[in-house]
Amino acid sequence: MTKTILKSAAGLLVLVLLLALPRYMQSPYALHMMILLFLSVSQGQSWNILGGYAGQHSVGHAAYFGVGAYTTMMLMHTWQIVPWIGVWAGVGLVVVVALAIGSICFRLRGPYFVLASIAVAEILRLSAINLTTLTNGAEGILATEIPAFKIGERVVTDFLTKVPFYYIGLFLALLTIAITWLVQHSKLGYYFQAIREDQDAAHSLGIHIALYKNIGLVISAILTSLAGSFYGIYVGFVDPPTVLGLDVSVQIMLICIIGGMGTLWGPVLGSLVLVPLSEALRSNLITEGLVKIGLVSADSRIGIFLKENLSHAHVLLYGILVVLVILFMPDGLMGFVKKLAVRRKREAV
Amino acid sequence: MAVFLQSLISGILIGGVYALIGIGLTLIFGVMRVVNFAHGDIMMVGMYLTYLLFTILGIDPFVSVLISFPLMFLFGGFLQKTFINRVLSAVAQNQILLTIGLGLIMSNTVMLIFTSDYKILTTSYSSSTIQVGGGVSISTPLLISFLITAAITAALGWFLLKTDTGQAIRATSQDRDAAQLMGINVKRMSIIAFGLGSALAGTAGALISPTYYIFPQVGGVFTLKAFVITVLGGMGSVVGATLGGVLIGITESMSAVYISSGWKDVVVFVLFLLVLLFKPSGLMGKSRT
Repeated sequence: MTKTILKSAAGLLVLVLLLALPRYMQSPYALHMMILLFLSVSQGQSWNILGGYAGQHSVGHAAYFGVGAYTTMMLMHTWQIVPWIGVWAGVGLVVVVALAIGSICFRLRGPYFVLASIAVAEILRLSAINLTTLTNGAEGILATEIPAFKIGERVVTDFLTKVPFYYIGLFLALLTIAITWLVQHSKLGYYFQAIREDQDAAHSLGIHIALYKNIGLVISAILTSLAGSFYGIYVGFVDPPTVLGLDVSVQIMLICIIGGMGTLWGPVLGSLVLVPLSEALRSNLITEGLVKIGLVSADSRIGIFLKENLSHAHVLLYGILVVLVILFMPDGLMGFVKKLAVRRKREAV
Repeated sequence: MAVFLQSLISGILIGGVYALIGIGLTLIFGVMRVVNFAHGDIMMVGMYLTYLLFTILGIDPFVSVLISFPLMFLFGGFLQKTFINRVLSAVAQNQILLTIGLGLIMSNTVMLIFTSDYKILTTSYSSSTIQVGGGVSISTPLLISFLITAAITAALGWFLLKTDTGQAIRATSQDRDAAQLMGINVKRMSIIAFGLGSALAGTAGALISPTYYIFPQVGGVFTLKAFVITVLGGMGSVVGATLGGVLIGITESMSAVYISSGWKDVVVFVLFLLVLLFKPSGLMGKSRT
């Protein structure tokens, strides 16, 4: 009982801190980091619902992310439609796409499902490259100015600073966490877990497998699409590799794998590890650090080489992390923490 | 008619190299039931190896196969022994993720060393062709690589059918437990199979390097292609992979001519989805769930 009260109090405190943060922390870089963190949490959490709870490991989530991002950006770029409306067009489209993908891919299992999910995302990526009139092809869509959202004459959001993005991102992250919690504590979640653990047994108990897999996919796809739209308008640029590429799908999964699949806090933990690490590489913090401690001189050949290339290598870090986590912590950080807790309890007894 | 024949021939020739990539993947899947998502990246490593041998030592790409085949075999054996072996009994998604991770490490390490610039390997015969008549011509490097591919496939067939090790590999791929009970060193067979699979992928990389751009991310495209080929042929079937490779080669070159080169990969993936839906066991595979 006291534990629940303590937990809720801690949660409330974190929430209040997060809400108040932009008031006291005006550094755009710090806000940027927080926004990336929120984006990562919502991406990971969206995948978690289908991949973690229902056990359908889609490696094609870039499809939903990209559809959301592209729809919102295209509407905004071509017709100046405010993202607040464009987002819902993206969601509508993504439901259609998800159901089409679900009806194909859910007939398959295991590696065949994974392959099909990749193939579908690849078809979308290649289409985005080839449908030049619609998507501007490989060049992508650049839209730096976001039309302000007005009701009458009153401006509701102007998107001139990072602050509105911070709150939208925070809302998105909290929304995905809340939906995951709801799924986890509902009949739906138990059906998902039954399908994950033993599809045939679940079927023989009368669970409509295809229906529930598709429900899981649609929820997951809608949330991923929202994250995609958010990414699009925040960065102001989308092109086929950055929103529809295989790397995107892998990154989305990775958040869950590192944190722990099928747990409420796994994706949050995964984001807390991944976002700062990849940002440190991207912004060349590591090279600067090496220079600072005197290991590498800034204008030596190695120094220049690292500065020019290390920032592109954050994907290398993803690769190394995946391998390490799979080999040494197959249940992710959450599983690792739980194992430690159990061991401690045993030692205490 | 000339256009049709032309694209058919180049489809078959490029299909031969695709077959080599597919055979490697199918061999690994057959013996270990592991889907190797790093397969294309292993091929990419083979391409860079060929590039290095050519630029530093001046060795012709087709001759360098003699060096890259054993080197890639060792590389594959190392990957199997240090990484894949540990996840053989793990759930499928962990195996998939591990190989995706290994692929990311390979492509990004290569990118760190060689940057992401496109490299072109120009030999004296890179753009030469042989006229066959009727307005149909054959690209010399593609023809040579097809002949080498055929020779390697034949040698592999002989190895799998006639030698003790080959038979042990096939036994392992039919029933891992039974093979182990019969005294076959299953672990060793896995290392050999992964080594062979990697050597074949690396060789395919060497063979197409005179006609393709070489860049760190080239593997991703080929990993997917290799899957399409093996699924089409039936996962685990060497004959199927050969057939699948040639079929994909023809499909690609036909759709490049009759639809557009931008959409040819889409055609291949749509074909792939159709096969998965209507004949998931592939052309030569037995149905297996």
